[in-house]
Amino acid sequence: MSLGTKRLGKELTKVLIRFPCEQIQKTLPPGITLVKADDLQEWLLDIQVLDQNPIYAGETYRLKFRFGKQYPIGITPEVVFTKQENRPIPMHPHIYSNGIICLDLLGSSGWSPVQNVESVCMSIQSMLTGNTKNHRPEGDADFVSTNKARPKDIEFYYHDNEV
Amino acid sequence: MVRDTVKAGLLKADGNKRFQSGDFVGAESLYSKAIISDDTNPALYTNRAMARLKLCLWDSAIADCQACLKLNGENMKAHYYLSQAYLELRAYDDAVAHAHRARQICAVTSDKSLAQVTTLVLRCKKDRWDDAEKKRKREHKELEEEVLETMRWQKAEALKMLESPEAADAPGGNNDGDRRQVAEEWDAKMEQLSRVFEAARTNEEKRREVPEWAIDDITFGFMVDPVMTVSGQSYERASILEHLRLQQTDPLTREPLRPSDLRPNLALRKACEDFLQQNGWAVDW
Repeated sequence: MSLGTKRLGKELTKVLIRFPCEQIQKTLPPGITLVKADDLQEWLLDIQVLDQNPIYAGETYRLKFRFGKQYPIGITPEVVFTKQENRPIPMHPHIYSNGIICLDLLGSSGWSPVQNVESVCMSIQSMLTGNTKNHRPEGDADFVSTNKARPKDIEFYYHDNEV
Repeated sequence: MVRDTVKAGLLKADGNKRFQSGDFVGAESLYSKAIISDDTNPALYTNRAMARLKLCLWDSAIADCQACLKLNGENMKAHYYLSQAYLELRAYDDAVAHAHRARQICAVTSDKSLAQVTTLVLRCKKDRWDDAEKKRKREHKELEEEVLETMRWQKAEALKMLESPEAADAPGGNNDGDRRQVAEEWDAKMEQLSRVFEAARTNEEKRREVPEWAIDDITFGFMVDPVMTVSGQSYERASILEHLRLQQTDPLTREPLRPSDLRPNLALRKACEDFLQQNGWAVDW
């Protein structure tokens, strides 16, 4: 059994198995819901912004996590927003319209093995909570049409460091 | 007989090939031939021990490990395989001791198997605890049965006393009433005793929680050998070293961190050991 499966199994245990299903929400912070964790490679979570930030009020967004075999050591999990009915991509100067998120935590130099699914969700949630700019990153259209690289391999240039 | 290290080396290489292809019988016999050519090479013994473990030949695997340790008492693999064989034979104390020894050697020599060997230490401790638990539960059950049996006997004796002619002739004796009363008293006592045993059992099954301080923040596993970083946070030695191999930073502060900055956290290690001693289940929380 690889480190990744072992550790994710335990993260899941912490969230799920210790508690009956209907109580899952009590263990995850408010605004974060586990949607699917059927296998230990890909998880789906929904997040909501809880304060009255008008940009995100009333919306729910879906995050997709993909983990490597050695998770949490070395490589960063890949975390993106995915678009579907009732689940738009949140507007933010560091989130591209294809769901790719620029967050130092998710880059290979910013990741740390003490991070976990819950802490990543909370970072993203607070990144939205604090945002006041209702627009996409500079060059969004270009990036979305030309990018083929995996999110973790992209060297982001932070156009707007005040966000 | 003259030592032929070249021949032994060739036989060993063939044995390794067989081993890798899953032919453990073939591998074992080639390693045996290699040992005939050179009986002073520790690796030949540990390789044969590995093949014998695959063949479930626990006793002869143990003999190989011991032969190897005679040549070199610090051979990590010999301790590692020895521990596995003892574990199979349910010699738990020996299994734990040799797994510990292997782990210490790994830590000192920066061996890459550290994580794997650490897992074995935990497995040995868990199995030892399981075994002791089983024994303890069986003893409790037996004790309960024994006490109940004694009480049933005492009850029968008490009833017999009331049946005796002297008791029946006692003045004003309502014999049937007395009998019923005595029987009820004994039944109540026995029921109470069963309840006490039952309560003790349910208490054991009460919700088990692993204390956060015993858990490694990287693997979420129970810690065996916690080491502390400069920032004061402790991690399992194997997992923080694995992280530092790829990234020389403190996981919490992101400050530069080298393996030589790590310090063993002896008090925490002792606390983890003590907790596990009482709560072997924590290995698989």
